[in-house]
Amino acid sequence: MSARDAREGDRAGDWLDRALMEGSAERAGTYIDDAGFTATVMAMLPAALAPVNWRKPALLALWGVAVAGLAVTLPPTVLDVTREAVRLFAGRPFALSDIASLVAVFGAATWTATWLAWRRA
Amino acid sequence: MARARDDTVTDAQLIARCVASDDRHAFAELVRRHQSAVRACLRRLTAGNHALADDLAQDTFVLAWRNLKSFRQEARFSTWLYRIATNCWLGHARKRRERPRCDGDADLADVDSDDADSGGEHTPDATRSASLRIDLERAMRVLSEAERAAIVQCYDNDLSHEEAAYVLGMPVGTVKTHILRAKRKLKVALASWAPEGEGGLA
Repeated sequence: MSARDAREGDRAGDWLDRALMEGSAERAGTYIDDAGFTATVMAMLPAALAPVNWRKPALLALWGVAVAGLAVTLPPTVLDVTREAVRLFAGRPFALSDIASLVAVFGAATWTATWLAWRRA
Repeated sequence: MARARDDTVTDAQLIARCVASDDRHAFAELVRRHQSAVRACLRRLTAGNHALADDLAQDTFVLAWRNLKSFRQEARFSTWLYRIATNCWLGHARKRRERPRCDGDADLADVDSDDADSGGEHTPDATRSASLRIDLERAMRVLSEAERAAIVQCYDNDLSHEEAAYVLGMPVGTVKTHILRAKRKLKVALASWAPEGEGGLA
């Protein structure tokens, strides 16, 4: 026994139920002709993404070139920068107030950036 | 009424083809199979506004295409479509804060002519029940959106209370409450149709 049958059994004596069910039974037999509906829906679907075959190999090649360039140039550069930094900082005695002001500037910059980001969001 | 349907392929197979290989022919077949039921459901929900119903039906199928991957086959495909269609209609009604129209003469003219055509022979009983159905269409407009949706799902789409609850996204108890309230309102609106002795309200 379907749910419909069960409901029908419960409400056999109810004139409103009979009217509702007669109406729905009549409509159930009525097929709404497509008349171009499917074609309209298909035209509304988002366009399929065309597969771009050349994109992936090209990107891989570019990454390869970039990584090779970095591998060649970076070690001497990093060494030079590090050597200069050590020379600069080691040769100059730092006072506690210098470090404190550096931390204060860094903190202020961080908080300002956070506040700006929060405000924009 | 040309219905070219390939019934040898099930809905599940067509869905699988859509998901696996973006098969638009398979989806077109799904639309052809279910367009009549979805449009009929929306015509009832929009109280006979055929143009709006067709627009919402188009949105329904486009949304179905976009979300086909998330369809887990826990309900029938048609039930899933009813769910999307009902959500489209509720969203539209919410946007426009559309109250049931009382001046839908054009739509009622459609209803009138449909009923007049479908009658065939006009015995007094047939005329009476056709008139009752027209008044019922009118009375449906006094229902709230949720009540109308519950009546349409349970009577027109022949869904069980559990399936209607899935379509409407509400607990089964709430669906039953909406149906009871809707029937009470309909009985008040159609009191003149109540057989003698029943007095309209049960």
